[in-house]
Amino acid sequence: MSQLNSSHAPQLVSDQGEVRANGWTLLADDEAIGVDQAVLSFARAVNELDGLNGRYGVRIAPGDDVRLLTPFMSKIALIEVAFPGYRDGRGYSTARILRQDLGFDGEIRAVGDVLRDQLFWMMRCGFDSFLLKDADPAGAIKYARSLYINAYQSAADGLKPVWALRHPA
Amino acid sequence: MYQYDQFDHAMVAARNAEFKDQVERRLKGELSEDQFKPLRLMNGLYLQLHAYMLRIAVPYGVLSSRQMRTFAHIARTYDRDFGHFTTRQNIQFNWIKLADTPQILEDLAAVEMHAIQTSGNCIRNTTTDQFAGAARDEIDDPRPWAELIRQWSTFHPEFTFLPRKFKIAITGATRDRAAIRVHDIGLQLTDKGFDVYVGGGMGRTPHLGHLIKSGLPGEKLLSYLEAALRVYNRYGRRDNIYKARIKILVSALGPQEYARQVEEEWATLDQAQIDAPHAEIARIKSFFPQPAYADKAFDAAALDRAKAADAGFARWVRNNTLAHRRDDHVSVTISLKPTGLPPGDASSAQMDVMADAADRFGYGELRVSHEQNIILPHVAKADLYDLYRLLDQNGLSSANVGKITDMIACPGLDYCSLANARSIPLAQDISQRFADAELTDKIGDLQIKISGCINACGHHHVGHIGILGVDKQGEEFYQILLGGRADEQAALGVITGKGLSAEAVPAALERLIKLYLDLRTDETERFIDTVGRLGRDAFAGALHEPA
Repeated sequence: MSQLNSSHAPQLVSDQGEVRANGWTLLADDEAIGVDQAVLSFARAVNELDGLNGRYGVRIAPGDDVRLLTPFMSKIALIEVAFPGYRDGRGYSTARILRQDLGFDGEIRAVGDVLRDQLFWMMRCGFDSFLLKDADPAGAIKYARSLYINAYQSAADGLKPVWALRHPA
Repeated sequence: MYQYDQFDHAMVAARNAEFKDQVERRLKGELSEDQFKPLRLMNGLYLQLHAYMLRIAVPYGVLSSRQMRTFAHIARTYDRDFGHFTTRQNIQFNWIKLADTPQILEDLAAVEMHAIQTSGNCIRNTTTDQFAGAARDEIDDPRPWAELIRQWSTFHPEFTFLPRKFKIAITGATRDRAAIRVHDIGLQLTDKGFDVYVGGGMGRTPHLGHLIKSGLPGEKLLSYLEAALRVYNRYGRRDNIYKARIKILVSALGPQEYARQVEEEWATLDQAQIDAPHAEIARIKSFFPQPAYADKAFDAAALDRAKAADAGFARWVRNNTLAHRRDDHVSVTISLKPTGLPPGDASSAQMDVMADAADRFGYGELRVSHEQNIILPHVAKADLYDLYRLLDQNGLSSANVGKITDMIACPGLDYCSLANARSIPLAQDISQRFADAELTDKIGDLQIKISGCINACGHHHVGHIGILGVDKQGEEFYQILLGGRADEQAALGVITGKGLSAEAVPAALERLIKLYLDLRTDETERFIDTVGRLGRDAFAGALHEPA
């Protein structure tokens, strides 16, 4: 069930339960962008993306204002949303703003202290991949998807809220 | 009252299945207590000083007689034969075994109840006026809106890990009985929509809420709340648990700037996807009709004769009934503050009696008030004496509603791991000191609120007399606050005089009250009014033994 304090090495899993290799590399701010699939810090992305070509990953920390990335959406393929502790829920708002306000259609990945008991909420907010310290990442996704069929409110996953099911158009 | 459809039933069943699985893993040792903690806290299960405590949501304080009987069953079967009604209009059972919780939740689900979001840093049970739908001063019924918020906030994916817990209160009357100015968000229903107050709260830094929006249309309530919560979720402090409530954010930004940010966020939202349509609001409203009132011939002379013959009844009618929207009905408050017993506690037998009373005299409906009493919102005046006798035979006829012995007290050091001092024994001592009915009535309306620590679960900041338990070098001490109130003229009490020992408090209150009786202009000037007229300092000296 919950994998708090887990010692398992993080594995990348998609919201469909596919476990795959992570091709992205998080760069230090003084590191030259010499690799494909480079993940930039938020500050660096805001300062440098304007002058860069290609598509990048960006690591967002909880306090970062994701809307500062608005001008660069076309240059971003991946946004890693950091969860330094599972109790810090700012990343949920970050993901919904990306999907529903900024129209971001790239990958939104949860990294850090990500628990299988939170995957359901994360998927609803627009996350579609997870770096998960879980013995069975695919099983964790399956579990999260099995919990609730409906939701009372609309979010970023396209699920119709219960009121829409009660009053079909 | 609201009734579940297949969607509501499925939602609770899914949560119960999830939690049952988590409990089984904990019992088998697959989860440590550390790992289990965040999971049980999502479901109202706390580990207290001596046992698990289960907090069950009573949505906006509204209960059917059947639900009350289920509480009686839980108290009898799984607890020590009593339950504790809380200031959040919920009920807590203090002696629960972990292994029993899945079955308790199943018993609750059978009567459309649950423990979802009664703990954790999420949106908690919305509270409201205990006389909603019945009170004569009501502008509009807050219950359908509270139910709309209940559904929207249940498992809200974005707001499950807020900086801190989040409490919303609604009133639809001119008198504020829901204490909306000391809630994270307080909603006042008017004939032009909602007035929205934000940033109220108690705890160690009390604040009164600020009006940030007037005339918000009900159809836009959810999207506006979503914007308000998002600004809080993103910018509320998370570095210090004591500065994490929205009141700190609103006070740091200033209410105007917070309001501006909410408007800005609101404009980015796809409101049509968030706000339930008119048809859904109408559907929810259809569950809150007026009861099918019995046309019982009411004989005013007979009531007068009963009052004249039975002084206890006369006093109970005077103190425990409130004007109803219909002339031939009243709302009745059943006081859970008998002399010498813990405020808000009821035995299983008493719960059954209250359920029976609701069925016989109250159209099957009950409410829990934030003052920790039980209300029958609609009672025909013709039935009052029969109701009184039923309650009186079962120790439920305390006639002290709104009086000095109708205290709010938190569980305190007897149960709570956060407390610095005991609350319940002090409340018992005070109720014994002021047990004389004649004296209590002479003193008139007076609210004492007791918290066993600075977290203020006993609402001491807004008591006419607030009592705060503190720990001073290993000894329990109590500070006295004067002048607080939680109504439409909300104000925060101020610490007056020096701290007192538990033994000294009842005598100090006695001196305080005597001084008030000497100073008041006449019996219509309430304690809080006299304090307002003369100032707190005029009363400080009375708190201490003359040298």
